[in-house]
Amino acid sequence: MSSEDSVKQPQTQLSPQEEQEKLLDEALQVVKVQSFQMKRCLDKTKLMDGLKHASNMLSELRTSMLTPKSYYELYMAISDELRHLEIYLCDEFQKGRKVADLYELVQYAGNIIPRLYLLITVGVVYIKSNESCRKDILKDLVEMCRGVQHPLRGLFLRNYLLQMTRNSLPDCPPNEDPEPVKEGEVEIRSGDIKDSIDFILLNFAEMNKLWVRMQHQGHTRDREKREKERQELRILVGTNLVRLSQLEEVNIQRYQKLVLPGILEQVVSCKDAIAQEYLMECIIQVFPDEFHLQTLNPFLRSCAELHASVNVKNIIIALVDRLALFAHRDDGPGIPNDIQLFDIFSQQVATVTQARQDMPTEDIVSLQVSLINLALKCYPEKIQYVDKVLETTVEIFNKLNLEQFLENSSAVSKELSRLLKIPIDSYNNVLTVLELKHFAPLFEYFDYDSRKNMSIYVVNNCLEHGTEIPMAEQTDQILQLVSSLVQDQADQPQEEPDPEDFSEEQNLMGRFMSLLNSDNPDQQYMILNSARKHFGNGGNKRIKFTLPPLVFSAFRLAFRYKEMSEEDDKWEKKCQKIFQFCHQTISALIKAEYSELPLRLFLQGALACGEVGFENYETVAYEFMSQAFSLYEDEISDSKAQLAAITLIIATFERMSCFGEENHEPLRTQCALAASKLLKKPDQCRGVSICSHLFWSGKTREGEGTEMNGEASPERGEPKELQDGKRVMECLKKGLRIANQCMDKSVQVQLFIEILNRYIFFYEKGNEAVNVQVLNQLIEKIREDLPELDSSEEMDQINKHFQNTIEHLRLRQTSPESEGPSYQGLEI
Amino acid sequence: MLVLVLGDLHIPYRSNGMPAKFKKLLVPGKIQHILCTGNLCTKESFDYLKTLASDVHVVKGDFDENLSYPEQKVVTVGQFKIGLCHGHQVVPWGDIESLAMVQRQLDVDILISGHTHKFEAFEHENKFYINPGTATGAYNALDSGVTPSFVLMDIQATTVVTYVYQLIGDDVKVERIEYKK
Repeated sequence: MSSEDSVKQPQTQLSPQEEQEKLLDEALQVVKVQSFQMKRCLDKTKLMDGLKHASNMLSELRTSMLTPKSYYELYMAISDELRHLEIYLCDEFQKGRKVADLYELVQYAGNIIPRLYLLITVGVVYIKSNESCRKDILKDLVEMCRGVQHPLRGLFLRNYLLQMTRNSLPDCPPNEDPEPVKEGEVEIRSGDIKDSIDFILLNFAEMNKLWVRMQHQGHTRDREKREKERQELRILVGTNLVRLSQLEEVNIQRYQKLVLPGILEQVVSCKDAIAQEYLMECIIQVFPDEFHLQTLNPFLRSCAELHASVNVKNIIIALVDRLALFAHRDDGPGIPNDIQLFDIFSQQVATVTQARQDMPTEDIVSLQVSLINLALKCYPEKIQYVDKVLETTVEIFNKLNLEQFLENSSAVSKELSRLLKIPIDSYNNVLTVLELKHFAPLFEYFDYDSRKNMSIYVVNNCLEHGTEIPMAEQTDQILQLVSSLVQDQADQPQEEPDPEDFSEEQNLMGRFMSLLNSDNPDQQYMILNSARKHFGNGGNKRIKFTLPPLVFSAFRLAFRYKEMSEEDDKWEKKCQKIFQFCHQTISALIKAEYSELPLRLFLQGALACGEVGFENYETVAYEFMSQAFSLYEDEISDSKAQLAAITLIIATFERMSCFGEENHEPLRTQCALAASKLLKKPDQCRGVSICSHLFWSGKTREGEGTEMNGEASPERGEPKELQDGKRVMECLKKGLRIANQCMDKSVQVQLFIEILNRYIFFYEKGNEAVNVQVLNQLIEKIREDLPELDSSEEMDQINKHFQNTIEHLRLRQTSPESEGPSYQGLEI
Repeated sequence: MLVLVLGDLHIPYRSNGMPAKFKKLLVPGKIQHILCTGNLCTKESFDYLKTLASDVHVVKGDFDENLSYPEQKVVTVGQFKIGLCHGHQVVPWGDIESLAMVQRQLDVDILISGHTHKFEAFEHENKFYINPGTATGAYNALDSGVTPSFVLMDIQATTVVTYVYQLIGDDVKVERIEYKK
């Protein structure tokens, strides 16, 4: 064979989609042609010929080759064309043509599909022109459609019936007292609402059967495709329910007695999961909420009988949510009082769960979620309903006989979390949540991580809404609830937690402390004791975060008692107890090997004690200061930390005015001693210089006061500044001596300038031991030493410091303060 | 140029957070610098400040967790040299002349200090002193009437306008003080 011989190309295969398009196109072509012919004949009043063409057109609907989507398109095109026929026939009747003949004529059309479509069309025309035989015609039509048992074709046929009869269904109540038929007269049987209901229910039942039959057609491997096709067709079946809901005479009673039972019977008996799931939701969507409220029991009972693979949970939740919304509407009537909505749902949900043994636990919990939402939306004041749901949930878990805690990532755990968060978020008040007796027990089913997450959620909710906890009992309850944040748990993982996460959690608990607050101080004290018990068991890592806020809370309480001293004659003893409490609490931190923190807390305690001023407060303040010193001496070893600590001790002590001389003196001495024992010379110099203030503005209470009758009273006099100028100078001179021992010249000069500034400070405060000569001497020394320093950035700083000091003196010299000393003789 | 000056938050030891009304006013992106007098006390508060502005300076307070904050700091903003120190090291606490000693040593135009939980803004010997108080209204043993407050400095050339925000009752009250170099 030569290469030039052309080889016959094979026919290209069409894809299934292209096949469908081709088939549909061909069918639509036929429709186009035949409908054109039909209209032409009708125009020429050639009815029989017109009907013949209509029949040809309708024969396209006999196909088995089209998918539901394509069949639908074809069906729509043909329905449109049949409209012309309908209009023509109606017109004919107007003109007097006996439509009854036609009804007979059309029965002889060839195949059943065209025959039935034509019958429906003609039948509806007949009803429209003469109502008296409506009832019979409707009955006829709905029965005749049984002739088509092919699911797809049958569904569309019956849909055509439903659409065509849309405006023809009788919608009037039955005539209770019909007049007897007179002899010779035709009985008027135009039908009533009962007939419409029967009509639609029958159509619905037949359509549902056809729809269900589709499930079992064809090969098992095509099941997924079939189910998809079924879903595409579901609206055809659902339209029957819509039609029922549109009938005005379908009131609550008829719905209860006739409509719903008819629907439910078909739904339950068909035993098909797809149909059941769709139709139950359809019922909820299509009929008004008022109807649902009156038929909850039968509806929910049916739910229990549905096919095992139906997602009953979603159906019930859809209903609950709808009713909850209905109850919530401001302009709506709300739930009628005689309907115990919550009780009904509660019972029926229990029935459903019992009936369906293999319902997964998370679905059961989901149902509880919807119940709790119902309770909160419809009966917000009835906390007991919410508690009932939680109680049911506890029972559910009890029945499961769980061996271990619910894993954090499991669906059940997630649903349970969802459930518990709802009351938290609804009430935004943890105190109300605490009233739910079964809330805390549900925590026990979670694993460690979930318990912790829920606890964090609770605490965050309190902080966000500023919910204060005003009773010791509630404090106890809450700290028990969130115990996974407060204390080590038996099921805690062995590894150390991430330090950042841990510190974030504990800071949360620290902040939570500020919410523990009662208006009543005695109650507040009990709250603090309760908190102390819980947090005290938190372990060394936690107490660093949780005990300090507790201590400060206690300080604040002492001040409150002082404010109320007029009303409470036991206030002083109570303050004593509070400071004992603080002492104990701070000591717990020492036992846990903290030192800087308890030192600062003792200093704060001493300050607070001094300000509150209860009976015996001087002793307590002294004790707190001693404890601070002990910690300083025994535990602070880093030299930088030492300087910072002693500076703080001195600064704090300088502010205190509660001590008499016999207590003030040893503390002063300790300060000076500690300062002089600092390791580095510059630190020593600075420490000792700061001590100078203790001798000036440090305060003591002098002597014993006396009562009117001459007896000595324990009250001391008003605090007075020491203003011991000589001792001040001793400190500063000692500082100078230490500075002289510094080997680094620039440090030395720096220290000189600092001491010079302190001289000036005391001179201006009126210390007579400082005079202009002293100042001149030091200024001269500094002036000598400055030039010897190597130039550097540091030297610039030191220079500027000195210049600023001189500038200050100049200012004071030229425009002296009215009460300030004279700077006469100053050499600057 | 806007500079936020605040401190003595004492979270969580003495307070659970800044007042909501303050937080609403502090919007990220509007402030160029933050000067914090210390006593945050934890990293959480520091991280919060970092969300408001990227340039954050903190000095060490007596209850700060982070031991590496400096005791003092000098920052230049525009034409102003600003000194920052917590103030618990200044004896006596809050004494003007003692603070002046620090000002002279650091050689600054403006000295910012805290610790007393009391707002101050005054001129002294041609230098300016600011104490932003406590942004959370935290407890202070020596002062029973603590009001939450913070300060915003608007620095333009040689003038700084200081706005102090105070939470009095339930309302935020603002005052304005001007200082020229």
